[in-house]
Amino acid sequence: MVTTTDAAGREVIAQAVAVTRKYPGVTALDSVNFEIHAGEVRALLGQNGAGKSTLIRLLSGVDVPTSGTILVGGRDLGTDGVRGAAERGVATCYQELSLVAELTVAENFFLGRWPKGRFGIDSSAMIDKARETLDRLGSDIDPALEAGALTLAQQQIVEIARALRDEPKLLILDEPTSALARAEVALVLDTVRKVAATGVAVIYVSHRMDEIRQIAESATIMRNGKVIDTVKVGESDTATIIRLMLGTDPNAQNVVNPTREFGEVMLEVKGLSVLPKVSDVSLIARAGEIVGIAGLLGSGRSELLRAIAGFDRIDGGTVIIDGVEQTRTTAKRMRKAGIGLTPEDRKREGVLLNLGIDENIVMSDFASVSRGGILSSTRIRRSAQDLAKRFQIKAHDLGEPIETLSGGNQQKAVIARWIHAGARVLLLDEPTRGVDVEAKGQIYAIMRAVADQGKTVIFVSSEVEELPLACDRVLVLRDGSIQREFAAPDINLSELLEASMASHV
Amino acid sequence: MTETPLAQAPSTARRAMTRLTSNTTLVNVIGLLGAIILLYVYLSYSATGFLNLSNQLGLLRQAALVGVAATGMTLVIIAGEIDVSVGPAVALSSVIVAESVRNWGLPTIAAIVITLIVATAWGALAGVLRARFRVPSFIATLGLWSILRGIGQFWTNAIPVPLPDNDPIMNVLAGSIFGVPTPAWGMIIIFLVIAFVARKTSYGRSVFAIGGNAAAARLAGIGVARVRIILFATMGFLAAISGIFLAARLGSGNAGAADGLEFDVIAAVVIGGTAMSGGRGSLIGTFLGVIFITLIGNGLVLLGVNSFLQNVIRGAIIVAAVLLNVTLSRRRSSQSED
Repeated sequence: MVTTTDAAGREVIAQAVAVTRKYPGVTALDSVNFEIHAGEVRALLGQNGAGKSTLIRLLSGVDVPTSGTILVGGRDLGTDGVRGAAERGVATCYQELSLVAELTVAENFFLGRWPKGRFGIDSSAMIDKARETLDRLGSDIDPALEAGALTLAQQQIVEIARALRDEPKLLILDEPTSALARAEVALVLDTVRKVAATGVAVIYVSHRMDEIRQIAESATIMRNGKVIDTVKVGESDTATIIRLMLGTDPNAQNVVNPTREFGEVMLEVKGLSVLPKVSDVSLIARAGEIVGIAGLLGSGRSELLRAIAGFDRIDGGTVIIDGVEQTRTTAKRMRKAGIGLTPEDRKREGVLLNLGIDENIVMSDFASVSRGGILSSTRIRRSAQDLAKRFQIKAHDLGEPIETLSGGNQQKAVIARWIHAGARVLLLDEPTRGVDVEAKGQIYAIMRAVADQGKTVIFVSSEVEELPLACDRVLVLRDGSIQREFAAPDINLSELLEASMASHV
Repeated sequence: MTETPLAQAPSTARRAMTRLTSNTTLVNVIGLLGAIILLYVYLSYSATGFLNLSNQLGLLRQAALVGVAATGMTLVIIAGEIDVSVGPAVALSSVIVAESVRNWGLPTIAAIVITLIVATAWGALAGVLRARFRVPSFIATLGLWSILRGIGQFWTNAIPVPLPDNDPIMNVLAGSIFGVPTPAWGMIIIFLVIAFVARKTSYGRSVFAIGGNAAAARLAGIGVARVRIILFATMGFLAAISGIFLAARLGSGNAGAADGLEFDVIAAVVIGGTAMSGGRGSLIGTFLGVIFITLIGNGLVLLGVNSFLQNVIRGAIIVAAVLLNVTLSRRRSSQSED
């Protein structure tokens, strides 16, 4: 049945009618029905692989359904593609940033639809219009700058502003805040509210419940390619929603045992400075301990980890590993000393997408899987299988390219890589970013298991909520130095947040 | 609430610095201009006859041969592609125009039009292979390189095909207008047109967008396949123009001509600051790159360097120039990439 209005008399903007999308070997969407109305903010929830991205791709014309119909503004989208969807008023902001780093902000703004003047593209009109839209969002980003010169957060804002350029009827935001700091999240949420008030329908994909509670009136929950339910956000508690997402009761969250005994000091950092981001940071981490580092984007977290791992030059201070002061901190030496770093940007710096899962795991140390200098496939398989099993990496065949795994499983493989290398101190930079609820829990369990074997784990996260679940101690980094320290079980969320945000409030 | 996001508050001064230093084109152009001036000063002292009018005009003719194709190659490389078929394409074009005048008795204008159409078509074919069938452009044009050279040599038995004397159009193309060789005019006009296209048209900006981030370009609704096909078709078209000028100058179509031209063309583009990784480059840089390459070639001849050794020196200078370029732009970019 094709309806045109909802109970409140609001016009239906977009509809999926019995839509199925099959890819070789997977049914990504299984006879899904979905509709959204003018002025509505709808959260789209589900674990990775639940079908959210596929639904978005279909609504925005990037992909076509195997069967079923996508209607936008009452008209069948058919195979009209991205342009067809755009003409009907769909604007999408994808999870992966889709700016061209080499073009200016203004050019990115009008990507593919540059305004024409009398003599070709009208640059000044382009810059003026881009500035106007950015102003409306309360941003002072200079449209004449190259997009590549912006921070990640600024790029995200440019993307959202761009999506609003053509005054869309349906705005799709796929995890728009996953890279943003608190203040900017507020800015984005505020913008979304403003946009919805003008009658635009908004589909909002996010893993962050607090954001969803702030802006969405209803939430559609997906699981295994199906729409499970659409609930009113105000009338459902988080546990209910998570239960719908998981299909089972969420496990009682592990409380960190505060009576745990730790071993020797494994990592000691004294007065470390990496200009201009990190100044005079000192910390101690013991064998068997998980130390969390909280801090907003730009607080110097990644820079601190990169410096400890020897990737960035240290401007002052010392790093002591297992009692040995490291005089020259090069990546090679630090690795030898037992440091393993899993980077924040998993796709670009963590995994080699086209290589096998097994190879991604053993690449940190080829010597141990070689015989007489020649790689041994049996040894590779044995090592990889062993680690995949310990880390619950879900894969049919470890020889498959790692890009076939979900984000959570990819992350586990990256952590496994450093266990394979025999690292004693693991530096995990945002290991749970963009990972679903279930995989998050597994990653905490892996960290704990690794620590229980006497290793030291440093866990950086911008989702403050997860730090008390996993850490024995949490250090709060702000403006490049450590502001506060909390020890389990007294890791208080609101105090943690306050400490990391103090300069913003 | 007075929130100033941490990551979003660079000082105005820093912002201005970023904009200045991120202008790789400007830095590159100044460097190349300096190098060209130095070459001029050095050669006018040490190479006899360098500053002669005839040598300078000859320089312009030689520059035109490289320059016409280099305009299109700049866009091709900015889009993250490569075309290695330029030399044989120029040679075969010269053969086609000569054959159609001499053996088919076509009027010169018709011969020229046919040559342009045929060359554009084979360029488009390479583009289709790249865009629709995902054949890497290096391979598609490498195949074309071999095929075009082979066709020309098979067709003519590798013997030059003479053009009739006193063909008025060919005489104009081989001659000068206002004292400047016609091919040089052609090169200048094509540079201006392509520079305008690159900066001021949707097509040109799409080329930059595709080279910078093809996935983003596709999501923005840019017809990536169409742009790629046009890119290679343009290369065919420009090769034909060079081939016609070449035939006019030599008085014949020659299947063995323009040997190794593709390397001069690619070198000129890269010396001009266009990134092989795509997304970045400029026509003014390429223009100076063409002048630079031509000057070096001319200088080595005038200095009487052994012709085998000339290749060695030219190769070393080209690599050194690009090395310098890459080093400078790496220092300018804030993040180290390895």
